[in-house]
Amino acid sequence: MRAAIELRRALPSLRWAVLLLVTLSLGVQAWDPERIVQAAARRGDQALQGAQALRQAMVSVQSQDEQSQLTAVNEFYNQRLQYRDDIDIWGQVDYWASPLESLQKGMADCEDYAIAKYFTLTALGVPHRKLRMVYVRATVGGPGGLVQPHMVLAYYPSAEADPFVLDNLITDLRHASRRPDLSPVFSFNAEGLWEGVGTVAVSGAGPAERLSRWRDALAKARQDGFFQ
Amino acid sequence: MSLIRQVWLLLALTLVLAFAAAFGITVHSARQYLETQLGLKNNDTAQFLALSLSQQKGDATAMELVIASQFDTGYYELVRLTGTDGKVVQERRADPKASAAPRWFVHLLGLSPTPGTALVSDGWKQLGRLEVRSHSSFADDQLWKNTLQTASILAVLALALGALAAVAVRRIRLPLQATVQQATALTERRFITISEPVVPELREVTRAMNTMVARLKGMFDEQAAQVEQLRRQANCDALTGLSNRAHFMGRLKVMLGSEDGSAGGAIVLVRLADLQGLNRKLGHATTDRLLQESAAAIVESARRAGSFEVGRLNGSDFAMVLPDVGSLREPAVDVAARLRNLLRAHDHAANAVVGAVRWWHGAPMSSLLAAADQALARAEGRGAYAVELDDTGDGLVLGEDAWRERLQGAVNGQRAKLVEFPLVDMHGAVVHRECPLRLQLEEDGEMVPAAQWLPMARRTQLTSRIDLLAAKLALAAIANDGMARAVNISPGSLMDSSFVPNLRALLSAFAAEAPGLWLEVAEDGALRHIELVREMVNQMHSCGARVGLEHAGERLTEASGLLEVGLDFVKLDASFVEGLSGDHARREHVAGAVRMLHGIGLKVYAEGVASSDDATALATCGLDGLTGPVVPAA
Repeated sequence: MRAAIELRRALPSLRWAVLLLVTLSLGVQAWDPERIVQAAARRGDQALQGAQALRQAMVSVQSQDEQSQLTAVNEFYNQRLQYRDDIDIWGQVDYWASPLESLQKGMADCEDYAIAKYFTLTALGVPHRKLRMVYVRATVGGPGGLVQPHMVLAYYPSAEADPFVLDNLITDLRHASRRPDLSPVFSFNAEGLWEGVGTVAVSGAGPAERLSRWRDALAKARQDGFFQ
Repeated sequence: MSLIRQVWLLLALTLVLAFAAAFGITVHSARQYLETQLGLKNNDTAQFLALSLSQQKGDATAMELVIASQFDTGYYELVRLTGTDGKVVQERRADPKASAAPRWFVHLLGLSPTPGTALVSDGWKQLGRLEVRSHSSFADDQLWKNTLQTASILAVLALALGALAAVAVRRIRLPLQATVQQATALTERRFITISEPVVPELREVTRAMNTMVARLKGMFDEQAAQVEQLRRQANCDALTGLSNRAHFMGRLKVMLGSEDGSAGGAIVLVRLADLQGLNRKLGHATTDRLLQESAAAIVESARRAGSFEVGRLNGSDFAMVLPDVGSLREPAVDVAARLRNLLRAHDHAANAVVGAVRWWHGAPMSSLLAAADQALARAEGRGAYAVELDDTGDGLVLGEDAWRERLQGAVNGQRAKLVEFPLVDMHGAVVHRECPLRLQLEEDGEMVPAAQWLPMARRTQLTSRIDLLAAKLALAAIANDGMARAVNISPGSLMDSSFVPNLRALLSAFAAEAPGLWLEVAEDGALRHIELVREMVNQMHSCGARVGLEHAGERLTEASGLLEVGLDFVKLDASFVEGLSGDHARREHVAGAVRMLHGIGLKVYAEGVASSDDATALATCGLDGLTGPVVPAA
């Protein structure tokens, strides 16, 4: 132990390596409700209230199974946030908000719902590999209705299983097979970014983080305390 | 470590550190940049390819084609699709291309960019993960080239800076060295002023040093001027500046008795006729001027013979002593002609007559002067500008070749010995032994003093070999009894370029005895070869031997450069010492000269001291020691 400390002193770079290892080994399960609340407090009253509600919701399902956590998180955000286009909320055509930003506004676009649910679930301990952000073609208003681009969060209990869809259009949790209105185009998650090769993403200061919306959202969520 | 070396070390360290840092930063940032760009490219390709694959509705053939087309047309090392169960579904792999950069470089600094990963699905169904890795060898090449370029640019810059630094250090070093040399020169009684450097701090030092040296030199010059004035008062005729009668007679006596001077020559007497009549007719001032001009004409005539002595014996009589002249007539006629030109140009009744006799080493002075007087009287009898000679001296009987043979024989056979005359300090302790060399010119013959063979040795250019022999004998004698010895070095030896190196080699062979050896050069010869003397002093000092002047005094003060070559001692000529006790003016002169010489750190000794009264007088003048008949032989 003592040797380890001395070694750490001798090689400052080693400290970063150790930090990285800790982050990786603890994975995304390590979340700190207090940090989320503190981060929210800096964003103002509405964000603070939202965060406190979120803490309550999370703590209540913390020790329950993933299915219950899915239901609770899906319900929490679908009720808490009001759907608006990004242009109305942020004055930009497209903006990927972090969970706290969405709570602060009380409003969200489709990808903001998915992002908020994704990070809350990973904070509760759901592994990244079970979650997918999915671009979908959504047919609104029954078959033959208006087709529009949309984003949802998918939960795969196992790799081959029929996933659950967490959506803000149809708010209750359903299997994908029961969502004929959605046709998936492309999916992604933060998995690759967490594995050994993902130094650019994890270091938090890489130039790539500023360039990609997804990585930007990851960085913001980390700042807000959803993971370390 | 010397100051300059420290400056250099500091400069070099700073330069190396600065350039190493610049080099490291440049290479590192280039590497970082390339690695990031490659990582981004991997990531983008993976995402794009995954998107394409996700559109193939799980058709394995279509997906294989998409992957193959991407792989085949791009620069990829690996494109791999892994199924959800972790098994490889599709893989395209190319061997990493060899980089042009050396292996150690790739090993040390080669790029390892992040591979790109993305998820592939078919509708809601997961198909697996895609991994994309690009070739990085071209980037390694780029980095290597970049590194070489940076290194060469920095090297050129470092060289340029090094050159600049060399100039800058030189600007400091040269004045420093000059100042050190100046200070060293000062300890060796040489006065040097140096040019002021540009660097302000050094300029101050140099200026101060120059001022000090100038002041010291000024004091020395002033003292020399005083001594010169005293010498003139004591020894010279006030009107013409020539030696007065007493001094002239002293010099003549020394020349006749000298062990190592000339073997013979000419004494020429000159009388300006009817000086009193002239005085009456032309007045005192004009007569005086005429006397001065005549004196100058006589000196000019005498100068042609090289070493000479000219004196004014009384109102109208002048005398020249010339060494080593071939013909007696030639100098006598020359001086008569010069005076005729001078006096006739003035269109006066004045005229001159000339009488000359030969002198030789050991001849009685009184009979020589009587013969010269008779010759002069005969000339007077014959009228204006008459020249009378008394050419009865024995002269040099043998020819040059015969002399060379005899001298070479003596030197080669080492038929030589040193005679010894002790030189003592004022308490009677022996300082060293003066050792004139005597040669046995004929086998089983007499040991002959230098005065008889030196002129021929000079003419046959054998002096350097003879002087080396004397030095060798002296060193051997020192090795034997440990007593210091002094030997003469003739000016002719100095002009032989091999002499000083040979002498140095000899001294190196006798390293333990060298400090006991005193080398003496006659003032007269040394004055003519100041640079050679300086060189000899340097060489001899490095061996520990001493160098000084002998037969000195007459021209000491005109020898401004000679006293500054770093000599160790001066021996005043016997003519300075003779009868000193009875002559206040000359005592003053000697005391002044001794003070001056002591001022620049020289020891002063007197030669040829004959009476104990003179010895006492010398002691009051501050001399360091004396030699001569008054000192009992060892």
